[in-house]
Amino acid sequence: MLHCFLLAIGLGLAAGAPAPRRAYHLSGYAQGTTYAVTYYAADSAVAGADVARQLAEIDASLSLYAPGSLINRFNQAARGVVADRHLRLVVRKALAVYRDTGGRFDATVEPLVQAWGFGPRPVARPPSAAAIAALLPLVGSDKVHLRGDSLVKDVPGVHLDLNGIAQGYTVDVLAALLERHRIRNYLVEVGGEIRVRGRKWPGGAPMRVGVERPDTTDAPPAGLQQVVQLRAGGITTSGNYRKFKRWGPVKSAHLIDPKTGYAFRNELVSATVVARDALTADAYDNALMGMGLADALAFLRRHRHLQAYLLYQRPDGTVADTATRGFQRLIVHP
Amino acid sequence: MTNLPRRDFIKQTGLLTGGLWLPGALADALGAPAPMRKIKLGVIGCGDRGTGLLKILQDLPDQFEVVAVCDELPFRLQNALKSAGHAKTYADYHALLDARAVEAVIIAVPLHLHFQVAKDALAAGKQVYLEKTMTYDIPQALELVRLAQQRPAQTLQVGHQYRYSPLYYRVKEMIKQGYLGKVTQIDCRWDRNGSWRRPVPEPGLERKINWRMYREYSGGLAAELLSHQMDFINWAFETHADEVFGTGGIDFYKDGRETYDNVQVMVRYAQEGMVGNFGATCGNARDGYLFKLKGTKGTISLLVDQGMYYPEQETRKQYGTVDGVTGATKITWNKDGGMAITTGAEPLKDGSWYSLRDFHQAIIERKVPDSNVLTGARAACTVHMANQAIYNHTIEKWRPEYNLA
Repeated sequence: MLHCFLLAIGLGLAAGAPAPRRAYHLSGYAQGTTYAVTYYAADSAVAGADVARQLAEIDASLSLYAPGSLINRFNQAARGVVADRHLRLVVRKALAVYRDTGGRFDATVEPLVQAWGFGPRPVARPPSAAAIAALLPLVGSDKVHLRGDSLVKDVPGVHLDLNGIAQGYTVDVLAALLERHRIRNYLVEVGGEIRVRGRKWPGGAPMRVGVERPDTTDAPPAGLQQVVQLRAGGITTSGNYRKFKRWGPVKSAHLIDPKTGYAFRNELVSATVVARDALTADAYDNALMGMGLADALAFLRRHRHLQAYLLYQRPDGTVADTATRGFQRLIVHP
Repeated sequence: MTNLPRRDFIKQTGLLTGGLWLPGALADALGAPAPMRKIKLGVIGCGDRGTGLLKILQDLPDQFEVVAVCDELPFRLQNALKSAGHAKTYADYHALLDARAVEAVIIAVPLHLHFQVAKDALAAGKQVYLEKTMTYDIPQALELVRLAQQRPAQTLQVGHQYRYSPLYYRVKEMIKQGYLGKVTQIDCRWDRNGSWRRPVPEPGLERKINWRMYREYSGGLAAELLSHQMDFINWAFETHADEVFGTGGIDFYKDGRETYDNVQVMVRYAQEGMVGNFGATCGNARDGYLFKLKGTKGTISLLVDQGMYYPEQETRKQYGTVDGVTGATKITWNKDGGMAITTGAEPLKDGSWYSLRDFHQAIIERKVPDSNVLTGARAACTVHMANQAIYNHTIEKWRPEYNLA
C-alpha cells in the first residue's frame, strides 16, 4: 500500500533567466514507516511513481515483512540463494561493519530479535535462558559469505535481518535515483534516516537536519536535541529509547546483543552518525549503541570518516550528550 | 502543506546540554531498585477521597499495608473495608493514633479538621500524608509548619497529587528550559455542571457528608479544586501570590449552601510578572479542567493526564524550521501546530499513585517530599487569601510572615 503525494511549491518565474529551481516534495509510506523526498529542480524530473517502483524493488529483496522476498528465501534456505544487487551491496556492508566493530553490528541476530518479540511474529512470553542458549549458535555473521553471485551460510538455521540498515540503504538508492536525473540538491528521508546533498532553492540556504530529542520511549517527543547543517552525506540515528517490550517484570529493549542474547545494557540512549552515505551511517549507529560510551568514543577516534553525536544517561538518571569534533562543527547554534 | 507536518520543527532553547529527567521505562530499565519496606498505614477519613486513596493503595502492595481505617460514620467504614481487607476499624482517630502498629497515616477528613488531626498525628510520632488543602486558614498553616519543623524525622506530605504526575514534572522542566519564554498569563478553570453534592442517607448527616457546602468546614471551590493549580504555579515557578482579587456568589444552586457555586480569582505574581486567572463554576462543564500557561515563546495546555505544547509564530521564525529529522523512530505532529508532551512508555497512572509512591520513598529514604509542609503552606495561604477576597470583597496581599523556609 503506497500513497504518494506530489506537491510543488514554486515562486514566480524570473523573466529571461534559465528556468529557476523550485522545491518538489514527495512523501508516502514505505517499509513500515514513512518517507519524504524534497528536491530542487527546474521541473518534476522524478515522480512518486518512480520512487514507488524503487521502493517495491528493495522490498522484494530486503524486507522481512514481504513474503517471498529474497531475504526471506535466504532465511528459509538450508544453504543460500542467488543474491540480487541490493542484497549483495547491503550484505557486503553488513559484513564489513561486522568485522570492523568486532561483531557489535551483526545482521544475523534475527533469531534473537524474533525470540524477544521484535520480529515480524508476535511472541507471548520472553525467551527462557535455555531458548537463548539454543539460538546463540545460529548467530554470527562469520557464518555468512558472499561467493560469486551467491549468498551462502555455513549453518542452515542462520537468519539475516537487514532492517537495521535497509532504511539507510533505501535512502541511498533514492538519492541515486535523483542523481540519475541530474538532481544535485535534495534531502531524502526514510524512517528518520537521511541523505542530503546541496542547498535549498530559491535562496541557496543550507539544509538543516534536526536530531530528535529522546526524552520519551514510545510517543512523540517535545522537541529536537540539536540542529545540524549538512552539505552532503548520510545522517542516521539509532536509539534504545522507544521500542520496549514488557512481560510482567521482564523488560527488554529492541537492540539485542548478539554475543549474550539479551538487550544491550549500557548508558547510551541514542547514537546519531554522519557518514559519506546513509548505509554506512546506519550500520555504524547500531554498532555504536552496542559499545557503550567509552568504547564508542574510542572507536570514533579510530574512525575519522564517521562523525557522531551520542546521548547517554548518567547514573543519576539525567541525560547528557557528547559529540565528535566534526559533528560539533555541523551543529547550528541559534 | 498539511501532508508534510514533520517540516514544522522548532529548535528549542536550553536543550543543548541540559539535564533531562527521565521517568518511566528508561529509568526503570537502567536504575537500581529502591530499597523496599512495607509501611503499615492507617487511613483517617473514609469519604470519597479516603476510599479513592484506598483503591490506589491496592496498586502499591509492596509499599503499603493498610492496617487501620477510621471514620465516624459506620457505613463508610464498611465501605472502606472493601478495599482495605482486614484492616482494624476505628470510629475515633485518637484511638487509631494510639495504635503502635500504625506507622503512617493518610488524613482525608473535612478541611476544618486537617490541622488538628495532623497536629495530633505528628505528636503521636506518625508519618503523615495530609490531604490538600493543607489547612483551613493561614494561622493554622503557619502553626503546622512550626510543628513539623520541630519533628524533622517525620514526613509530612501534602496531597497535591496532580503535580506528582510525570507530566507535571515534565512541564516544570520545560518551563525551566525556556520552552515558554517569559510567561505572563496563566488561565485555570475547574468547572462542572452539577451541584457538587453527595447523596445523604439521612438528613441528620447533611453537614457531615456535604461539609464542602458549609463555610465552617470548607474553603469551597477554591480550596477543593483551584488549590491544585495554585500549588503547581507556586512550585513550578518557585513563587507565590503577591496580590489576590476575587469574586463569586451562589448563582445557581440556591439550595441552602454557604460556599459559592461560582468563583473567580485573579492573582498577581509580582516577582514573576504574571497574572493568574482561576475560575470554577458548578453551572457549566464545557471547559471542565483547563490549565494554560502562556509565554512569549509558546503555550502549554494541560489536562490532568495530557499536555500539549504550542510554539508561538515568532519562535518558529527565530529558530527556523528544519528540512528533515533523524531519530530512532518517526514523529507525527497534530494539525493545529501542537506537540504532545510526553513522559515515558507507560500510560500515565493517577497522580495519587505517584504521590503515594513518593510518600513511601520519603519515609524510607528520610527525604523531604516534593509536596511538603512548606509548599503546602504556601498553597494554603493562597487559598485562604482567595477566599478572603471572594467573601469579603477585599484585595488580599501576601505578608512577609508567610515567607517560610
